[in-house]
Amino acid sequence: MPADLAYDALADPVRREILNVLAEREELSAGELSSYIHRVGRTAVSSHLRVLRTAGLIAERRTGRFRYYSVDPTGPVQDVIRELQELIQGSLDATKSAAENGAARTDRNRPGRRVM
Amino acid sequence: MAGLALSAEQHVDAPPGAVFALFGAGCGAGWLFDAACDRLAVGAAVTLRAPLFGAAGEPVEILGRIATVRPPSRIEIVHDLPWRGRLRILVDPDGPGSRIRIIADLDGDGLNWLMRRRGFPVSEGELSGTHPVGLLTSKSGPASVFASATEHVAAMAVEEINAEGGIRGLPLRLVVGDDGTDPDLGALESWRLVRAGCRTIMATTTSATFTRAAHELRDAGVLMVQTVMNEGGIGSELRLQLGERPVDQVRAAAGRVMEAAGGRRWFLAGNDYIWPHMVHSAARRVVAEHAGTVVGEAFLPLGTRDFAPLIERILRSGADVVLSAFVGADLVQFERQCLAMGVRARCRTLAPALDEPTRERIGDAAATGLFGASGYFEELPGDANAAFVRRYREMYGRFAPPVSSISESVYEALHLYARAARRADDDNPVSIARALRGIRHHTFPRGDVVVDGPETFRQRLFVAEARPGGFTVSRAS
Repeated sequence: MPADLAYDALADPVRREILNVLAEREELSAGELSSYIHRVGRTAVSSHLRVLRTAGLIAERRTGRFRYYSVDPTGPVQDVIRELQELIQGSLDATKSAAENGAARTDRNRPGRRVM
Repeated sequence: MAGLALSAEQHVDAPPGAVFALFGAGCGAGWLFDAACDRLAVGAAVTLRAPLFGAAGEPVEILGRIATVRPPSRIEIVHDLPWRGRLRILVDPDGPGSRIRIIADLDGDGLNWLMRRRGFPVSEGELSGTHPVGLLTSKSGPASVFASATEHVAAMAVEEINAEGGIRGLPLRLVVGDDGTDPDLGALESWRLVRAGCRTIMATTTSATFTRAAHELRDAGVLMVQTVMNEGGIGSELRLQLGERPVDQVRAAAGRVMEAAGGRRWFLAGNDYIWPHMVHSAARRVVAEHAGTVVGEAFLPLGTRDFAPLIERILRSGADVVLSAFVGADLVQFERQCLAMGVRARCRTLAPALDEPTRERIGDAAATGLFGASGYFEELPGDANAAFVRRYREMYGRFAPPVSSISESVYEALHLYARAARRADDDNPVSIARALRGIRHHTFPRGDVVVDGPETFRQRLFVAEARPGGFTVSRAS
């Protein structure tokens, strides 16, 4: 599954919004989904869903004549983005404990460093 | 720039000023706040060691520059490697404490890079209707320090070549591979470039990667060009080794370094792979020519971070001159530790791989007085170089890494290649390679160059002495 497709898919604000809604609601039909997305109509939502599905970002489940969509939790692009997010969050957690343990006060006057 | 913005947030029970002061203090405040920078000032080089591949993996160095500093609330870092992006650190009052927010850009190239490193296939997009050429470079690992401007400069050359009509009616398209400063990965990436349709690969990697990849692709029918300084020795019909040769570099600067040092006792120290070994043997020849002596020699693996035992040996040896054949991040660490341990008071240093981006990360204090020698420095006079540097800054802005002999070499190699490919009888790599051997060019930023066979690249050499903010450059005697 090509990452450039995923990137293109994620570059669009409506598609990011769709992903956010799906992440919150777990699984929705195309109709239900378009009731949450106000800035474009139902036809546009359907074509955005197609792009997201081709990029491997969402999964589609068919029941009778209905199709249900959900975030594909196994997609490698999701993994990569989630890991990067966790890495940044983890770094901030370390910042928090350093700040709250007073590291800033002891290291502030480290020689050779100037703040301009 | 369109891209994803990843964000993270944290409340801290400390005022914004205390949180802000943690940045760059190196006190275990997480990889973001533990950024390494000598000065917290706009334009200062900054390195983040991000554990992108888990705690067990080697951290990836994100090489960037401070773009905004607004104490105590905002720091912005722009970075070029492993991908181009911007990191924003925002600290706001939150009750008696603070709220820290991080916003990190991830563009398509960055996502592709991360995907590939995890082993997922990533398409290069549509290459039909183009003339694809591979660029094997180091977007990560110790060599990324010297390779940092390479991709930008290559893209600039491609734009110019295509403005002149491309190659045989097709636009040249660059396909980039990252060896991670690892020969195994370099070989895999070379195969990927070949599978993507490249029949020529330009390499700006270490010789360790180039020789491995050149060997592994021996039956692939692909033209491989090592554009950067190298030891030569494997040139052939489809293997070209341009760039400076160690013996020429050492010979260019040896007299001046010994004069500055006031002595002729040399200590040779470098990374443990083929190029530094060949630099050392070149140095032995040149030292002998000057009736000097070699008082010690050592090799350390690429990726070494603690040079103290070696530096103690150097200090005990009574050397006047240190030949430092370390490269990239290793050269940075070695020279910083040399300054800290008092080597500067006793010895002068010649570092053949010293270039602009490496000098900048060594920092003004540790770099000043180091000698380098190569065919190009950003300070070179001449209209061609002035236009080259101006165009580079126009395209990539003032925070992009400085150009150097390493990055400029790929600019030249691509132009030489385009000229040869237009002149060749057909677009077979063998025909293009034949046209490439024996080509000359008179208006490159570094001056006149002549390719005279698979391993002979004639150019002028310059000696450079590092000073705060840059180099003082003079013609080799």
